[in-house]
Amino acid sequence: MNAAAPHVVVIGYGPVAARLVDELVPAVRRGEMALTVIGEEAAAAYNRVLVADLGVGRTTEEAISVSDPAELEAAGVTVLRGARVLRVDRARQRVTLADGPWLGYTSLVFATGARPVVPPLHGLNPDPAAHSPLPRGVIALRGLDDAAVLRGAVARRERVVVLGGGILGLEAALAARDEGALVTVVHHGPHTLGRSIDAGAGHTVAAALRARGITVVSDARAVGVEMGAGADGVPAFSALALDGGPAVEGALLVLSCGVRPRTELAEGAGLATGRGILVDHSLQAHHDPAIFAIGDCAEVRCLDSSCADCAAGTGPLGLIGPGWRQAEWLAAFLTAGAAAAHPLPAERAPVMMLKARGVDVAAAGDVAAGPFDDVPGLAVSVWADPEHGKYVKMGTRSGVLAGFISVGMPRTGAELTLLFERGAELPADRSALLRLDGPDAAPASPDPSRNVCRCAGVSGETISAAVAQGCSTVPEISAATRAGTGCGGCHGDLKALIEAHFAPA
Amino acid sequence: MGTATHCPYCALQCAMTVTPAAATGVAGPAADPPAIAGRDFPTNRGGLCRKGWTSATLLGHPGRITNPLLRGADGVHRPIGWDEALDLIAAQVRATREDHGPDAVGVFGGGGLTNEKAYQLGKFARLALGTSRIDYNGRFCMSSAAAAGNRAFGLDRGLPFPVEDLDGAHTVLLLGSNVAETMPPFVQHLAGARAAGGLIVVDPRRTTTADFTADGAGLHLQPAPATDLPLLLGLCHIVIHEGLANTDFIHGRTTGFKAVARSVASWWPERVQAVTGVPVHLLRETARLLAHGARHGGSYILTGRGVEQHVDGTDTATATINLALLLGLPGSANSGYGTLTGQGNGQGGREHGQKADQLPGYRKITDPAARAHVAAVWGVDPADIPGPGLPAVELLAELGRSVHTFFIHGANVAVSAPNAGEVLAGLRRLDFLVVCDFFMTETAQEADLVLPVLQWAEEEGTVTNLEGRVLRRRAAVTPPEGARSELWIMAELARRLDAPSTFSADPETVFTELRAASAGGLADYSGIDYALLDVGAALHWPCPAGSTGTPRLFRDAFAHPGGLAVLVPVSPAASNARDTLFTGPTLALVTGRLLEHYQSGAQTRRVPELAGAVPRAELLIHPLAAASRGIDDGGPVTIANGRGTVRCTARVSTAVRPDTLFLPFHFAREECANLLTSDSVDPVSGMPEFKASSVTVTAGTGIPAGAGAAHLVSL
Repeated sequence: MNAAAPHVVVIGYGPVAARLVDELVPAVRRGEMALTVIGEEAAAAYNRVLVADLGVGRTTEEAISVSDPAELEAAGVTVLRGARVLRVDRARQRVTLADGPWLGYTSLVFATGARPVVPPLHGLNPDPAAHSPLPRGVIALRGLDDAAVLRGAVARRERVVVLGGGILGLEAALAARDEGALVTVVHHGPHTLGRSIDAGAGHTVAAALRARGITVVSDARAVGVEMGAGADGVPAFSALALDGGPAVEGALLVLSCGVRPRTELAEGAGLATGRGILVDHSLQAHHDPAIFAIGDCAEVRCLDSSCADCAAGTGPLGLIGPGWRQAEWLAAFLTAGAAAAHPLPAERAPVMMLKARGVDVAAAGDVAAGPFDDVPGLAVSVWADPEHGKYVKMGTRSGVLAGFISVGMPRTGAELTLLFERGAELPADRSALLRLDGPDAAPASPDPSRNVCRCAGVSGETISAAVAQGCSTVPEISAATRAGTGCGGCHGDLKALIEAHFAPA
Repeated sequence: MGTATHCPYCALQCAMTVTPAAATGVAGPAADPPAIAGRDFPTNRGGLCRKGWTSATLLGHPGRITNPLLRGADGVHRPIGWDEALDLIAAQVRATREDHGPDAVGVFGGGGLTNEKAYQLGKFARLALGTSRIDYNGRFCMSSAAAAGNRAFGLDRGLPFPVEDLDGAHTVLLLGSNVAETMPPFVQHLAGARAAGGLIVVDPRRTTTADFTADGAGLHLQPAPATDLPLLLGLCHIVIHEGLANTDFIHGRTTGFKAVARSVASWWPERVQAVTGVPVHLLRETARLLAHGARHGGSYILTGRGVEQHVDGTDTATATINLALLLGLPGSANSGYGTLTGQGNGQGGREHGQKADQLPGYRKITDPAARAHVAAVWGVDPADIPGPGLPAVELLAELGRSVHTFFIHGANVAVSAPNAGEVLAGLRRLDFLVVCDFFMTETAQEADLVLPVLQWAEEEGTVTNLEGRVLRRRAAVTPPEGARSELWIMAELARRLDAPSTFSADPETVFTELRAASAGGLADYSGIDYALLDVGAALHWPCPAGSTGTPRLFRDAFAHPGGLAVLVPVSPAASNARDTLFTGPTLALVTGRLLEHYQSGAQTRRVPELAGAVPRAELLIHPLAAASRGIDDGGPVTIANGRGTVRCTARVSTAVRPDTLFLPFHFAREECANLLTSDSVDPVSGMPEFKASSVTVTAGTGIPAGAGAAHLVSL
């Protein structure tokens, strides 16, 4: 290692940090950079998106791992696991670890992610700085430990109560139900996925949930956690108390009430924060060019008050895709420098896709307006078929999707996703997009020519003439006309022509 | 009476019998062409397609070149004698070498050349011309799959098993391959999978092959162009996460699992759907059908050019191999992975020294031991063999720059190379272009000197089919007066250039030397001879002397030291050299083949029955894309991008995705699809991006009314 090489320190070892580190490894191997990554969890980075699958036993810890500390260390990266950063001293460019030692840095990257929101329920401590764990039988389904608790409940086919009707809550509920647990979803508002879909889609999704045997309690306000004696006599969650309704009983409460960026370390270092750590379009913290933030903890909001991208910003997106793009971009920035890096493009509004087997929901953008609402410049079309669990809404401006919802129409949802992400114009006949899942979507025959035998190029007339002249078997037709001598796919048609000829009139 | 040989066209190399029309056996322009009949053989089982049936039409074709043709100052090609032609070439080569050095002479070969010609062409380039600058059109076909096969298995043979092994499979996944048009008799081997409901076709187009999945025969996945790599990473993800992986196989026969598992952890099915447009349930069904087949009857995964001809083609082929390895398919008794070779001798043509980086026997030209072995066979000092040259696209870019005299054998680059407009400009910048062909192709028209050569049924030789089996091509008719074998041409030129070693005009003599040169290499042919082939021996390489060949590779071990296959993690690059797709009103253009035509159409456009069936290029466009552009079925369209403009007619059909266009690449001039394709290449294989070009499409020809007729006449 070149002693003068810059030292990059990454706080956090989640999937976004892991991507950044992977991209920086070549520079470390070349001796151009020293790199230290500091993670609080004992486990190496894993794909948090799949924690619910892990929690219902559909996948393994090994399969969701996205980083190998041993491999990184062999490449020259220092990987500190189970280590907590106590504070950042920006003046001296040092981070101090909880157990005492400090590290100097040239560049410091916050990839501290987010932590689940603990709602203010009686019996729970909502303080994000709280060190006391959640009570027994209550999890937030964020980490590997949470997944293990859920797996136990699913294996015992217990009643699982999911608090929150957002995408992560529904995914956990559907997966747990599919794998055998009894599930109740408790949520605010009239329907689930409240922020992403409209009432029509909400009805359609609710029907799909009911059809799977999931109990849904809508318009509910949870007020407290009731504890009872667990299986081994230790107090554990027994019911979720609601305001103005009966308590919902269960053996496990899964909190799915959103996440909050982890900014306290940055705040303690005097960095500007809003919903997340504030960074500019180079992911650089305000007024400190040595500090960066990426992923769930970062909020891109530059100092230019006229910047349209930032004015429209809604804080950290909480999605892995944009985080990975930031990690890739920052790696290029840190290795090649500002001059070489193209500006980081602003993220489009994300597409929400429910990860659930047999319940296809995709939505994006603004979907509140209906077809007859008078919103200037917005054209909205809707297809609703509740009996068959299908619902599609497309809102366009100048023909380009401003928002969409697709429920129960997998191919339509997939194509609308592509069209939304490309900013492509929709066909004038919107109904064409509704037929992609139908049996008539594929052309009757890709070959419009009338050849019965494509391979040898033989028409039906030629074959019928051969039959009329005495050919009565497929080999005889083949010998006379070459029909049926290629792929053999037309042999059935040849037999049919023979039978038609010899059939009594 | 008839002669047993094989079809001149694709890599299936259907067995056929050629019987001259007249008892004299002389097929002249006035005589009827020889009769063609399908011959029973494991690959085609007597079947032929329309191209094979009509192949003899070209033997006595009136357009045949029968004299060397020298272009005069007026641009007109006129016949000259062979001695004059060969002396002229030798003088030109010497002059170029003196002025610019030996690498100023370049050679471009073809995957249609016999093994003998491919072998001797590589030797000719390196010893007689002294140049490193040789590559061939197989770089456009097989290089990505070859690179992926080599890094995974340590060896690249298109199908590591005989084609008939597919018959019993329950699941066959075809990625980017339209076999029902490109090699129709092959479809017979898919009957078992179709009956089991396990034929899965991945193609942005509802091809004839995709249509074979209808009625419960299987699945058609229709991804957006250039999304094959994420699709395959998604399938790998599902196999791992649904517990479908063959863990015994992974532990016992591969390395690299953990890194691959980590790399695909980020490609969960919903994310893949969002990128590819393929619904999650189809992804899951595909993975499950593959896993089910692997346990019951067999599963095969086969790739074609559709997934390979990309700037990330090697990584895409690698992801495919990873999928196969995770399922435990390669090297097992009734399952496997393979790539469907395209050209007639696309397999043999890539093994014996036509490739810029290779010596005979699939040896690396940079390997000192390989150089020493080949130098010993050739009787030269290893230092006399030049080092690696440039892959095809880079070589073509050097025309008229660092390469001044150029030889082209069995390739029509003016039509078939990517960014064909630039290639044509390069051909015109050359000091001297020699083209060996039997018709006045679009490339031959650019030549200073055209040398008339022999067709498939006029000479002896061998080819290696898609399953690595070496086949005999035999002379069935007498060649026209004036045409010569390329082996003879190389021998004559070598003599005039005072080349070291020997150059024979006799195919069997050349093959005997090839056997020695390949001995001990990966593609070892030393145990194969004409006598064995002539009595019908089924010999697949590697076939060391005294062995009976290797129909099935990898049964006991892969070819890497230690015998393990290597799982190589791959992922889509943050940025690559591909066109940016789907900006504004652009659509993605995919190119490919039709049943009636072959490659650049140099041959099939001259067969009246084939040209009559499909005389012109047609652009396949979805009704939605057509309607918004005012394009009518059968109406004229103009397709354009920064590289070129194509004018042809539209065929409106829901067979193609609304965001995708399909244009066949068999046609020339204003219908030449490669005017639009990019010469950006895969960084590993040098394979160009043929299958995802950004274009605009407009109704009409862009020619003002009234001027059209005059303009068209001038073309």
